[in-house]
Amino acid sequence: MLARAHTFTIEGLHTRHVTVEVDVRRGLPGFAIVGLADAAVREARERIQAAILNSGYEFPARRITANLAPGDVRKAGPGLDLAIACAVLAASEQLPPQRLERVALFGELALDGAVRPSRGTLAVAQATRRAGVDTLALAGARAHEARLIDGLRVTVVEHLRSAVRVLNGGPGDAPPEPADEGTGEPSQLDPGAPDRITLGADLSDVRGQHHAVRAIVIAAAGAHNMLLSGPPGTGKTMLAQRLASILPPLSRTEAIEVTRIHSLMGSRVDSLAASRPFRAPHHSITAAGLVGGASREWVGEVVLAHNGVLFLDELSEFSRQTLEALRQPLEDGRVAIARARHSAVYPARLMLVAATNPCPCGYAGDGESCRCREADLARHRRRLSGPLLDRIDLLANLQRESTRDPHAPALLSSAQAREQVACARERQAARLAAEGVTVNARMDGRMLGRYARLDERGEEMLGAARLRGLLSARGEHRVLRVARTIADLDGSERVRARDLGAALALRPDVGLMGSRAA
Amino acid sequence: MSSNGSRDRTDGACVSCLRRGWLLSALSGPLECCARDRARLLELLALSDGELLRAAAGRRGAELRRSYEQFPLRGRDDAGELARDPDVQAICRHRDGYPRALSGPAAPRALEVAGGARRLARLTAAPVVAILGSRRASDYGMEMARGLARGLAASGVSVTASMTDGIAIAAHLGALDASGASIAVLGGGLGVGCPARRRSLCERVRRRGCVVSELPRDCHGRRWGQLASERIVVGLAALTVLVEAEHTPEDLAPARIARALGRPVAAIPGRVTSPLSRGTHALLMDGANLVRGPRDVLELLYASGARASEPDATPAPCGVGSSAGLTPWLQATLERVGAGCDTPDKLTRAGADTAEVLLALSELELMGLLARGDAGRYVPRQSLAG
Repeated sequence: MLARAHTFTIEGLHTRHVTVEVDVRRGLPGFAIVGLADAAVREARERIQAAILNSGYEFPARRITANLAPGDVRKAGPGLDLAIACAVLAASEQLPPQRLERVALFGELALDGAVRPSRGTLAVAQATRRAGVDTLALAGARAHEARLIDGLRVTVVEHLRSAVRVLNGGPGDAPPEPADEGTGEPSQLDPGAPDRITLGADLSDVRGQHHAVRAIVIAAAGAHNMLLSGPPGTGKTMLAQRLASILPPLSRTEAIEVTRIHSLMGSRVDSLAASRPFRAPHHSITAAGLVGGASREWVGEVVLAHNGVLFLDELSEFSRQTLEALRQPLEDGRVAIARARHSAVYPARLMLVAATNPCPCGYAGDGESCRCREADLARHRRRLSGPLLDRIDLLANLQRESTRDPHAPALLSSAQAREQVACARERQAARLAAEGVTVNARMDGRMLGRYARLDERGEEMLGAARLRGLLSARGEHRVLRVARTIADLDGSERVRARDLGAALALRPDVGLMGSRAA
Repeated sequence: MSSNGSRDRTDGACVSCLRRGWLLSALSGPLECCARDRARLLELLALSDGELLRAAAGRRGAELRRSYEQFPLRGRDDAGELARDPDVQAICRHRDGYPRALSGPAAPRALEVAGGARRLARLTAAPVVAILGSRRASDYGMEMARGLARGLAASGVSVTASMTDGIAIAAHLGALDASGASIAVLGGGLGVGCPARRRSLCERVRRRGCVVSELPRDCHGRRWGQLASERIVVGLAALTVLVEAEHTPEDLAPARIARALGRPVAAIPGRVTSPLSRGTHALLMDGANLVRGPRDVLELLYASGARASEPDATPAPCGVGSSAGLTPWLQATLERVGAGCDTPDKLTRAGADTAEVLLALSELELMGLLARGDAGRYVPRQSLAG
């Protein structure tokens, strides 16, 4: 007899609908799973057999063939166990097969028949709704994750027996209290866990460096990519870590995107992500680590930083190849990975914040203490310059302050900054609503012409900058974008000369090179 | 073109002078050993060919002497090589177009000139100023050198410098800023003496001015070539200006050569605390002329007072650019930057409005009165009028 069940498999950040067909007929007893199953799915045979027997059902001593359709999609992970087991029970007439058509099943089976949660529940819930299946049955530990999706009936099944009850028309199990199950996952490896470094950090911790603080508020307000440059110990990293505290909260769509990525990467998700992701990979990271592509199950840091911040400390220490790989995500807000055996497109709309020393020894421009040779400087600049620097809108230089006052006032607190940023973002979103973008950083030349018109004095300044060769065409766009954001922060509908002046002072093209560049 | 250039006595080079260049390149190895002692190298370069062979050739003496005597044969090949590049000409000290300033026993006998011997003659007919200094200059030094060269080039003075990192590069850039011509002296042959990263600059210098070398095209000058080229730079110039120099024999070598030639030396002061200014300060203590900008150099060149007839009662602050047409606020900002408040933070600390400060800085930068240096510090630039 034939039975059919529905489940999903995860492919990177995507889910694919899988129909499980089980056929039980006379023949030599055996259990074969066909349809491009990976190791974890082939091992399901043993788990399913044990789980069925231990739950008090009969495992048919006949020839069983389970087919996972469509046959050209690679099936991965243990989440298919529950669906295959139920289909086997239905095919051996221990379960009415009608309801199987309307319930998607997702979960891994323990040998005693208990259902274990699998990663990616949120994405599966989204896919279930899209596939038109009205109920999703899954383990209780992740049920609240699936409940984040509106318009989907979520049934908790803690055991194979409960699944059989549900498929017989009975009720599901009661979901556990969200907090009661403390899985021992180390939170450091958990992309969804709030970053310990950024937690509780406040902008008012930064004393002095008002110029840089102002720059970071501007960057946050317009989602501009930003570079912090300064000698060691001037607070570049400290500032960047405080960026997360001033960014506006995630919108619901953004939150679902972020949460979905966290869920697929295996972290426990109790509610929608509240804060923007802040990823700070070490500089030894490879290109594959940064953009993904090493394996189909794992995505790169840029994807984990989607809708948030990617912080690259000691930018010049990253390998050139790694930095080059950032070009596409910064330009398009997505990564398209193509490998011999798989290809995928991941979202990667992020704000890049990089920090670097101004020269290899770190003290260029700091008195006369820099001992770098011209050739070292040239090498340092080469590493930074080019395509990556081209996509950075803002440069904030930090200086070691000789008259450092330990009680120097902080410019503003995170709460104040957050308010300013939120106001500026609202203005931008309202202005750009018709264009399909929400932040100034994503404005192209055409939008700049329409929304970042300068006053007369500003036009004069821009003309002078062009004339002096200070700005390339692309550089001009960057300066205009930043000027637009500065005006937004100030609450001005028009971009004035003073906004342009500040934007010019923050432009990244020459500052790193200094006058020594020839 | 070289040996039979009798039709025109202003350029070309005679065989014996070209042979000197060949000999120097053949002795490059031994000379490199001597480069550790600068004084000795200069002494060797002052020797005649025969003496030089005896002093430096060592075991290869006989072999080199044979090749030396057969040189004219090879010389024709060299001349053919030169003739293929119409822009490169050789000129020796027996021709009228040879720079008169290059006299004295240690002066080179012949020069290869990219840009043309006539142009070199024209450039050296005007007063020539050498701008030299540390290879690891600070922003301040680079801006001072650039501004100085810019001002001098605009006033019709020829600027000469080597093609080493630091101050020398700034000098060439400054001359180019003013669409002026400069003379670059390479430490190796014209074909190989310019480091790859300076090739575009070298090309720009050559388009308006001259690039010269005393060595054959394919001779790598190594270290001794750099030292030897400094003596040409200083030799060409009526005045040698050191912009930033540490108190090391290496950085102060040009000043010693100039003094040996009896040419005046000038220096631009810096901060007393900066190691990069110790050498220049030592020179100033020793009686070198203090230079604050192009105006001071012009006064030195044309003797004091020669240009003082300008109706300029209150001398504008030298070193800081012209202040004509600046609003009081811009002027004040410019002066505060010159006085050391060189970052936006320092400027705003006094309570000024940030936006106004940044606007002023950007406007001054657009006017060319400020430049953004390393690590975002602003450096005053000297304007053309300075």
